[in-house]
Amino acid sequence: MSTELGVGRPTKRRPGAAVGGLPVADPRPLLDGDAVLGVRCTACRYPVAQDGVPWCPACYGPVEPARFATTGAAWSSTVVAIPVGERRPPFGLAYLDLDDGPRVLVHLAEPAVLPIGTRLRITGTDLGDLVAATIDDEVTP
Amino acid sequence: MNQPMLWGVGTSDYGLQPERRVESLAWTAVAEAVRDAGITPGQIDAIVVGSVFGPPGVATRVQRGLGLPGVPMWTVENACASGTSAYHEAVEAVRLGRFGCVLVLGVDQMSTLFSGAIVPEATDPEGAASLPLPGLYALQAQRYVQEFGVTPEQLAAVAVKNKRNGLDNPRAQLRKKAPTVEEVLASRMIADPLTFLQCCPTSDGAGALIVGPERGNPDDLRIEASAMVSGALWDHRTDDVWGYASVVRAAEQAYAQAGRTPGEIDVLEVHDAFTIGEILTLEALGLAPRGKGAELAPSGHTARDGAQPVNPSGGLLSRGHPLGGTGTAQIAEIAWQLRGRAEARQVARHRVGLVETMGGGAAGMDGNACVVTILSVL
Repeated sequence: MSTELGVGRPTKRRPGAAVGGLPVADPRPLLDGDAVLGVRCTACRYPVAQDGVPWCPACYGPVEPARFATTGAAWSSTVVAIPVGERRPPFGLAYLDLDDGPRVLVHLAEPAVLPIGTRLRITGTDLGDLVAATIDDEVTP
Repeated sequence: MNQPMLWGVGTSDYGLQPERRVESLAWTAVAEAVRDAGITPGQIDAIVVGSVFGPPGVATRVQRGLGLPGVPMWTVENACASGTSAYHEAVEAVRLGRFGCVLVLGVDQMSTLFSGAIVPEATDPEGAASLPLPGLYALQAQRYVQEFGVTPEQLAAVAVKNKRNGLDNPRAQLRKKAPTVEEVLASRMIADPLTFLQCCPTSDGAGALIVGPERGNPDDLRIEASAMVSGALWDHRTDDVWGYASVVRAAEQAYAQAGRTPGEIDVLEVHDAFTIGEILTLEALGLAPRGKGAELAPSGHTARDGAQPVNPSGGLLSRGHPLGGTGTAQIAEIAWQLRGRAEARQVARHRVGLVETMGGGAAGMDGNACVVTILSVL
């Protein structure tokens, strides 16, 4: 460990096991075969890619377990050019609006800034992160 | 109900100061604020501290050096809006008559925590997926850029303006040189489209404020409004980019409370952690319609000699961003501006000022918290 002030010292923030901290319960959405797991409101159908929420955060209705499509449209995307945790640059990130499902953060199989609405499919996970690839050139409005 | 007033302000220098103790940054700010308010420390009857990374107990360690009697004291953590959230609680307490004179302190020392960008929080779904804060703002920026046809030059113009303003701020972290638009765009990429010079530096610093009721002092500033809101669900069924709605909520409350419209604001300090942040904030504050905020810096509207100067201090892009220490520094700058004592940074019209701070980073929420306050000269 460096003795230089501010370098290599433990931090108050929980950095997680990926960067040398203690492990924490994994908060990321889970992929189960051909579906992203979460809950859906039985009243307004609002989708959430998390479990354990006590009620629908949009209308307070009851929620039930749900399986969401792995396909959707890119809401936005970026290429990160700095190292973050175990990730080395460049790596691509996108907010993906799953078809009839929630918005989830995905890593892009090929780092790129995509046009809004680019069709993506979640193809698997890498280091526990959802990974998505473009399906074709189709763009939804 | 009392009319809350800003009695005094003070700050430390802002910059990388790992050799200083956190308390000493705070003491510099508090001492200046107490003298500025013309009070004795013994008049302080409550303390509210805003800090994100503390460390835990920082408020008490600061208090030790001030020698105050045991007064009510608490610490607020609302991400980047921690300092202004602490201020908001002081304002409300004074308004309701709970306390007569409240010390507000915002403080953080980032240089002893992180050697670069803030390490994302591993308990957050998106933090755990390695989304850094510049990445979150980059996703916001890409959506906005593609939706409204904004150019990289328009984004860069915000950095050029604020870094030029910061040259005249002796307490700012970055004040060596003002870059050109080309230099901003040519600086190394952090997260597309945000280049290095479009990201605020993490910093160490503290700002302190003294808030009390009306006391007949012409130097005091009237706090016309203070609104604080938490984040709410960032509903993907809306058209809002991340963060926008939380600023709108706070702004609508603040304008209603003050009975003012956006056009009546003379000078603003807003949360420009990244260039896109200033643009979207100014739209949320009603200075430009949706999609037109990117024109405000290139047109000169928000320049120091423009119609509505924004971030005459240089903003976070120059001052640096010690999370809890940011909001109180923004309010200090507006106080100096409204009193006509901002020296080389002084803007021409300075009767009504606005401060906005938005903190965020929790996945799925449209912010962690946002504070908007409006102040005026008597």
